[in-house]
Amino acid sequence: MTRLGDILTWALGLLIAAVFLAPLAWLLSLALRTPAEVYLGAARFIPEAPTLANFAQVLGDGAFPRYLWNGVKLSVAGAALAVLLATPAAWAFSRRPPRHGERLLLAILALQMVSPLVLMLPLYRWFDRLGLLDTHIAVILVLAALGLPLSVWLVKLGFDAIPRALDDAAAIDGAGAFASFREISLPLALPSIASAFLLSMIAGWGQFLVPFILLSKDSTLPVSVAIFQYAGSTSASTTQVLAAAAMLAILPALALFLVLQRAITRALTSGTISAQG
Amino acid sequence: MRQDRTGQGGSAWPWLAPALMMLGVFYLVPVLDVLRLAFTDATLLRGSSGATLRTITETWSDERLPLILRNTGVYVAGAVAGLTLTGLGVALLLVRAERRGLWLAGPLRVIVLTAWIVPGVANGILWQMILSEAPFGALNSALGMAGVAPVRWLSDPQMAMVSVLIATLWQGTAFAMIVLYAARARIDPTLYEAAEMDGAGPVMRFLHITLPQMRAALVVNAILLTIQTLNGFDIIIALTGGGPGQATEVLSLNIYNRVFVSFDLAGGAALALLLLVVAMVLTLLWLRSLRRDAA
Repeated sequence: MTRLGDILTWALGLLIAAVFLAPLAWLLSLALRTPAEVYLGAARFIPEAPTLANFAQVLGDGAFPRYLWNGVKLSVAGAALAVLLATPAAWAFSRRPPRHGERLLLAILALQMVSPLVLMLPLYRWFDRLGLLDTHIAVILVLAALGLPLSVWLVKLGFDAIPRALDDAAAIDGAGAFASFREISLPLALPSIASAFLLSMIAGWGQFLVPFILLSKDSTLPVSVAIFQYAGSTSASTTQVLAAAAMLAILPALALFLVLQRAITRALTSGTISAQG
Repeated sequence: MRQDRTGQGGSAWPWLAPALMMLGVFYLVPVLDVLRLAFTDATLLRGSSGATLRTITETWSDERLPLILRNTGVYVAGAVAGLTLTGLGVALLLVRAERRGLWLAGPLRVIVLTAWIVPGVANGILWQMILSEAPFGALNSALGMAGVAPVRWLSDPQMAMVSVLIATLWQGTAFAMIVLYAARARIDPTLYEAAEMDGAGPVMRFLHITLPQMRAALVVNAILLTIQTLNGFDIIIALTGGGPGQATEVLSLNIYNRVFVSFDLAGGAALALLLLVVAMVLTLLWLRSLRRDAA
């Protein structure tokens, strides 16, 4: 009975794995094909004459490496700012909760109900008036604000897990609040701070709407917007090049995920558990 | 400056101020400004000429709005129901594989999460290639090899919605899986042992232990999925652009088009208000279902 169950579990698991891998495998297959082989469709799933020419064409364009760099810059800076602002707030929520602190935390979580699109209507005009359209600083500020609620929650959970006895010991030794924050809480909470950073960064890398609305100059675009524009300007005859471009847009986040998948899965888990708290 | 020796008694506000100011400027004030804009006739190109109720009455009675709302309802309901099923299915499979010590569990989790990492726009482009109705489209050419007639994945209005849901399920399953897996892992194993001793089979154990114990997580998951699918349109804009016609144009995409394509800022704000209200009402309804269940 359990043997049969194991076999079924394996069969189902392999089926699910195939379903989830197939689209990416197809993308890779297209990206490695010559135009002639693209027209053969599924019959030529494994290209007979695989080529890296499509990747070379995309990367040789000059603009594409800049899109990738813009994507890295915006997502890293946005996540860094989110964590920088979230950490002191999270420490205060954990160690010296203000009156109605619980309600305030819930209100911060509830902010995520608001669609980024709704926020962008006024923000677009404000940035326009400030002359900040087409600047990365505008995008970084919005990305940081979008990453902030979840970061506050994640980092607060990290601080909560540190025994209070350590703070008390530091206080007895004469350490002030800031010293105890910097010397004890902060180093011990680093894993949860890193988690918040990673999740914000992945969200920022995939974020389309905010840079799409705020940026129009080609040299400022991150890769998520660039491939959308590129997809709109290509035809069936360049499918393989678009596939290579999409692959390159996915790869950096994918590589980061595969290297840090344990940490990211843990961050995602505690993030979603915090939402259930 | 007075040294706070206990580390407890000091004020929290200096620590909270930067984050709260950021949230105020980028969430609270914009929402209030949207509320204000909805009662003006402002466009993206010029300011308003005074307060008016006409924007709201005209936009909310727009003859195309029922279609947009129906699309939104179908998309959100389909995505939330579908993602709950696929997420729960994979989560339970992972739990079973881990309990039996099958090494399948680790790689499977990574593979499913891989789809979640793909940016929404890239996901739309990816599925456009798979569902392409050209003779060399992945799915249609594979169906052709099996002797099945090609499917109009993107040009048929009803199929286009199905296609959008497929792309959404592929990407979103990982998130639901993580939420539900964590909840399943927290169930006390002795409950299952006791049920087994009482002779309860797998179906009974699922219905009488797993589901009731996971109720809170299922509701929280549903709330998160509702908000995500209601607010997001990355996948749709890249896969169908809202078409054919307006067959897959959901409310958020409609707002985007109104404001940033047609420059109708006030009209977009009036619909943004509607989007906010819908998100809040749905969240409250989910929460109420939780409270009723608990009682």
